[in-house]
Amino acid sequence: MIPLMIDADADADAPFVARLASDPPDGSLLTARRVTGDSRSAIYSGDAGLFELALPMDGNIAGDVLLVHPQRRRAERLLRHGSAHNTLLVTERCDQLCVMCSQPPKKTHEDRFALLTEACLLADPGQVIGITGGEPTLFKAQLLGMIETVLTARPDLRFHVLSNGQHFAATDIDRLRSPLYQRVEWGIPLYAAAAALHDRIVAKEGAFARLEDSLAHLLMAGANIELRTVVLSHNVDVLPNLARHVAARLGFIGVWSIMQLENIGFARNRWQELYHDHRHQFDPIAAALDIATLHGIGSRLFNFPLCTVPPAYRQFATASISDWKRRFGEACDACSAKADCSGFFEWHPAANLMEVIPL
Amino acid sequence: MMRLPLRSRAMDDAFLLVGDSGRFFAADEAFIDRLLDDGLDVDDIAFLRRQSHMCEGTSGLGWLSHAHGLTQRWTRAGPLDYLILVPTLRCNLTCSYCQVSRAALDSQAHDWTDQTLAHVLALLDRLETPSVKIEFQGGEPLLRPDLIAAVIARCERFAERSFVICTNLSHLPDAAWPLLERDDVWISTSLDGDLATHQANRTANADATNAFVRNLDTLIDRFGAGKISALPTIDPARPPDIDALIDAYAGRGLTSIFLRQVNYHGFARKRHADSRTQGEAWRLYYEAFVRRLIERNWAARDRVLEESYLTLLLKRIFRGGHNRHVDLRNPNPMGMDYLVVDHDGQLYPTDEARMLSRSGVIDLAIGTIADGIDTARRDALNAHATNQYDPDCQRCAYQPYCGRDVVDDLARYGTIDLPRHETEFCRKHLHLFDFAFGLIYANDAPTQYSLRRWLGLAGDGIELGLRHP
Repeated sequence: MIPLMIDADADADAPFVARLASDPPDGSLLTARRVTGDSRSAIYSGDAGLFELALPMDGNIAGDVLLVHPQRRRAERLLRHGSAHNTLLVTERCDQLCVMCSQPPKKTHEDRFALLTEACLLADPGQVIGITGGEPTLFKAQLLGMIETVLTARPDLRFHVLSNGQHFAATDIDRLRSPLYQRVEWGIPLYAAAAALHDRIVAKEGAFARLEDSLAHLLMAGANIELRTVVLSHNVDVLPNLARHVAARLGFIGVWSIMQLENIGFARNRWQELYHDHRHQFDPIAAALDIATLHGIGSRLFNFPLCTVPPAYRQFATASISDWKRRFGEACDACSAKADCSGFFEWHPAANLMEVIPL
Repeated sequence: MMRLPLRSRAMDDAFLLVGDSGRFFAADEAFIDRLLDDGLDVDDIAFLRRQSHMCEGTSGLGWLSHAHGLTQRWTRAGPLDYLILVPTLRCNLTCSYCQVSRAALDSQAHDWTDQTLAHVLALLDRLETPSVKIEFQGGEPLLRPDLIAAVIARCERFAERSFVICTNLSHLPDAAWPLLERDDVWISTSLDGDLATHQANRTANADATNAFVRNLDTLIDRFGAGKISALPTIDPARPPDIDALIDAYAGRGLTSIFLRQVNYHGFARKRHADSRTQGEAWRLYYEAFVRRLIERNWAARDRVLEESYLTLLLKRIFRGGHNRHVDLRNPNPMGMDYLVVDHDGQLYPTDEARMLSRSGVIDLAIGTIADGIDTARRDALNAHATNQYDPDCQRCAYQPYCGRDVVDDLARYGTIDLPRHETEFCRKHLHLFDFAFGLIYANDAPTQYSLRRWLGLAGDGIELGLRHP
């Protein structure tokens, strides 16, 4: 697992953002240059003064954009150089309490938008920066402000924002119609075509109806929408219904991602109750994919290792798991499809990793 | 709760109901009665809501989604990025049904001049799109590989480019090979079925037939069947044996067959005067052909044969947004996203339009490569290039899937001012859509298997045709 947090010591009092000189230096976007160091630690000099970083064992941090917390003596690797999986957590608050939440919400909120904006402005060229939470749109004004500031200054960047779609309003439409938002994709979850089941999964009454309002506003704004559905034992049998619902009512989405469960957060303790082992019963997922294809809805499978998917449907399975939390079984080394495979989450039950079938 | 419009058409054992955005289902006569009598029951209403044939009002998601679905059924022509270029009208064959009234091989006045070429290259320089598609038509374009090469060389700046050389493959000059070897060059040719039929229709003698077959097979050996698309032109009076026709394609690894009747253009207007209308014989042949493809696909699952136009119709039936096939789209704006540059530098909206001008029926040129598009002439053509407001089409269940072709009307009748159902375009497409829906609702495994493959489905677990109840 790639460490996202490293030990740090800094002269400064307040948290600050720094982009470490890349190796070799690229001349641009440099805010902190390496002064001295060895293989275990290094001292950098930047606008906020000197700071020392403990270097991760397996990670090269040159070119990373860090958020350094002098008081906590820690540094977050916000935007790792060369990674396609950089995601910023903008809040840990949420107004839903999904049964399988991988990142259970907290009541507290630390507003870091100014620092995160600074970090995004220092991003590698051409990056897609993920925004996640909690629920980012609980702080919609700050969120949209950050997106607009960054995308205005950096025409090469894009955002992918995960949102529960509970907070978009008619008054947002004009703002979201700005051409800047053509470079934003909203990843929005929908778990069932039946309101009651969706509401039960997200543990919020009225969530389905509110989501439909938000989707209407996003449609009016011409927003790019990625619809997301996590497969659960609760909804797997009604996935074909959901596919028909998507085709009939949500034909404007850009893509539908059907996602296998992540064994962390709430799902960890409820694994037996929630996890649907698609190796034993793939039919409803296959039907959902076929219905989507039939009606021209692009769809894909996230977190489905290729060897666990019937051959005809492997075309849908993508290498979805972020680099820093992805791992493979030992037998995977012999697999010819490893480079295209999602692999497993770092925290996936180890027994499943033993069951891979190299392709 | 508001019910959105539905149009119906009788099928063999049920009624087809189609919404304005093309979403459809089948129901029995009792449902039609309840619909007409305002007597929908709870199940009917739940079904119609689920299928987005009813919505909550004119502001919520249901209504907006319906509106979005409607827009997906309308072509919005983008900027010009597709050119049909005719570097020469000369040809080394003399097919009886030649649609373009080709010029003699030794003619002096039927190739692009240097100036025309310069204008074409300048037009390429002005295109604003990141991609370009160019089709070289003729005559026989490979009589002038130098002109093709000049055009292709000028397109290097496009991020995406594709070139299709429409050739009879009777002669491949040395200068053609560097072009054919390019990954962005494809070949389109004619293969009328078994070789006897091909020779009778096209090549006229055994030597020419052998040369064609040799060239075709050499290309396939060298570049794979994916490099080549071929289509048969069928004379319904003398159609080839269906299996022999399929074998001529499948035996070469060519899996897509665009079965096409002799087109009522060019020399065919006189020598195949019966091609003005499609007779029952053609329709029966077409259906038998498709049914045979279905049988053969079922018998040999290792490859899927298709009739390409039927595949296009099926995709348009199930999906919005399939609006780049210029033979079937609505509206069908001309002279916008694609354009024909003829051998003499005249601009035409479609390949058929240049054929009509060449036949002396009507001059449909919309400008010249030297002076650009004559927008007044283009606007005149586009004023009625839609089925949207046609009183017949507005009542037709197939309107969302269908198109409009004013050039075809002009070719056959000299006017576009006819009741739609009296036009060949309408009769042809009514037949094809009836046939397609018959297949969609056929509940035999072989038919469903082929349809799922033609529509690109990965598996065989779902029903294609929705039924209520």
